[in-house]
Amino acid sequence: MEGNAVEFRSVSKVYHRQPVLKDITFVVEAGTFAVIFGPPGCGKSIILRLLTGLEKPSTGQIFMRGVDVTNVSPGERNIGYVPQMFALYPHYRVYENIAYPLTLIGLPKSESDPLVRQTAEMLQISHLLKKSPAQLSAGEKQRVAIARGIVKKTEVYVLDDPLTGLDFKLRERLFDDLKQLQESLHATFVYTTSDPLETLMLAEQVHVLDGGYVIESGSLEQVYSEPQHVRTMELLGFPRANLLAGILSARNGQVWCKTDLFEFPVQMIQPPRSSAKQQNLIVAVRPQELRLDPEQMNGLRTFRAQVVLQEDLGGELVVHLDANGTPLVAVMRHDDVHLLADGAVTVGVPSSAMVLYAADGGQRMGRGAE
Amino acid sequence: MPEIRLVNLRKEFPDVVAVRDVTITFPSSITTCILGPSGCGKTTLLRMIAGLEEPTAGDVYFDDERVTDLPPNKRNIGMVFQYPVVYPGANIYRNIELPLLEEKLSEAERRKRIEEVIEILGLQDSANEDITDLDIGTRQRTAVARTVARQPQTILFDEPLTNVDVKTKAELKRVLKDLTKRLKKTILYVTHDQTEAMTLADEIALMKEGEIVQRDAPRVLYNQPNDVFAGWFLGNPGMDFFEHDLEKSGDVQLLKSPLFPAPVHVSGASGEHHVTIGIRPEYVRIGLERTPMSVRAEIVRKSIVAGGQYLLVIKVGERLIKAKVDPVLGHRVRNGVWVECPLERITVFGPNGHRLDARLTVPWLQTVPQ
Repeated sequence: MEGNAVEFRSVSKVYHRQPVLKDITFVVEAGTFAVIFGPPGCGKSIILRLLTGLEKPSTGQIFMRGVDVTNVSPGERNIGYVPQMFALYPHYRVYENIAYPLTLIGLPKSESDPLVRQTAEMLQISHLLKKSPAQLSAGEKQRVAIARGIVKKTEVYVLDDPLTGLDFKLRERLFDDLKQLQESLHATFVYTTSDPLETLMLAEQVHVLDGGYVIESGSLEQVYSEPQHVRTMELLGFPRANLLAGILSARNGQVWCKTDLFEFPVQMIQPPRSSAKQQNLIVAVRPQELRLDPEQMNGLRTFRAQVVLQEDLGGELVVHLDANGTPLVAVMRHDDVHLLADGAVTVGVPSSAMVLYAADGGQRMGRGAE
Repeated sequence: MPEIRLVNLRKEFPDVVAVRDVTITFPSSITTCILGPSGCGKTTLLRMIAGLEEPTAGDVYFDDERVTDLPPNKRNIGMVFQYPVVYPGANIYRNIELPLLEEKLSEAERRKRIEEVIEILGLQDSANEDITDLDIGTRQRTAVARTVARQPQTILFDEPLTNVDVKTKAELKRVLKDLTKRLKKTILYVTHDQTEAMTLADEIALMKEGEIVQRDAPRVLYNQPNDVFAGWFLGNPGMDFFEHDLEKSGDVQLLKSPLFPAPVHVSGASGEHHVTIGIRPEYVRIGLERTPMSVRAEIVRKSIVAGGQYLLVIKVGERLIKAKVDPVLGHRVRNGVWVECPLERITVFGPNGHRLDARLTVPWLQTVPQ
């Protein structure tokens, strides 16, 4: 399938006179794994409820496969849906729970049975088909809920934060399952989460939702490597990006940015405002850009910091630092350094790793120059 | 501080055996994390040590004293739970003070202890605030402070960070790490979170289906897993596994795998016909140029993981393997790559899933003149 599977055009949603979604515009291309990512309570689930037709937008239009479905009933939208608060029917066995959406559309058993079994196979829950939900673990229930959401063959599947609350290893396995599923079905997945790691693991396309708007959309690689909005930089990363307050000033024809820790020359996308002598900015730097190896400090901006905690991820080490009252996080591959001695270290950061955002509005302004 | 000795400790519930005849000694004055997936029996084990759960069989000793039949309040332990237990309506100081009133302490001694724990847990600024008004992180700190102030010989933690947000979690980890280092008490800490365990533990006891399968220092557990489960459970993501038959050729055993360009020799696996080899994604080397030990592979999928590294899923022959690579290379690679699994990074497991003391070598590689 080519073209757009889903499109929101200037959609808003108002509850009790409170706008929750203000002006939502985004496109999901057919056959992609799209993640709507945003902090808890930003309205992600509402977008999915609007898409499935469980709620109506206050203004704006929703298109599926190029057709305006704004006023089309949920049943006619032909969407597979895994809601956030999945409830399995306790008096039904797993088999009947999965088969339920097919029963609803009146599919004869001869046709529904192979679909239920195939789906169960795909999610590795075939051995559970005869059990009742009460006999299942949390992870098994979640997989049954996912199976029920995808059993009906369709082109668009909508998953509302389906892995929340599961333990790490189970999530890790379900990441693989979901990706394989989407690839084998060649379907469009629209998936919401507030977890950056989950977004980075799953998304091909990401739409960042914040403050009632989609503030940024694009391929995962593009949005992660060149975030255009400070909130994207701040939220979409693991560990999260470091943010510092900076002040711009011009000197000898070169623009400089000064933070509490260091000063560096910058290259602006937008020229600094001429009206103000100095301009406030936010300086963002990802944890992987902070260097702690004393051998590699050449040409870097350096400062001293106290190591306050080292978190061992196995393959990586996350180092929490305190630089004169400014908390910072660095991450390095575990190969590079073994546990650092607690105490003071020199931290280096390349000027080019610093990304500048407007203090008001959050748009990208430029980056550090060497 | 006592060591904690469990002898054939068992707990059966009507539908499940939660703890299966566990015999282990948790050493005195260090922090042992009991790590395992949901439902592995770790909390039940902890509750039996605390006296909150009666064992079906077996005994608990604190040093040489059998405490199996002692009620919790006679065991000289402190316990911190998933949800902070606090006295609403009282301030932090009072929350810490209340249990101390039952002990025969002079007022000066009581005050000294309270002030000490307030300082250790960084609660100085909010000591006089009503606990009801404070966030869950501060409440959990208060619960820890109250436990520590009683000066029990042993402190038991049951997933104390599960319900706090990401930022508070890092802060509490730092507090707990400092605390455990400073107190030198016998501490048992139950968690399903491997990073928490790797960060806080002196030793990790890994639990699976009611049994402790390995107990070691964190990096030893990570680098030398005793079985396939430990290799999979630790790591983000865990090890990849490949099963292979061994072939005998004269005196040597040969392993043929699509992961290697030619058969490799296996020593130390005599008597085995079938092995599983495991490798961690961060040890798999990816390159654009061929190396003597590399094989050709196709990239199936890319995602981004901790520190901006790329997790590549690559296809070697008909098999999928994961590789974690640095951001620059990850961004650059597209379709075909060369993949090398360094032999010294491979762990060999026997047919029952237990690690063999086996080594892989390539004699033919060493004969190549330099």
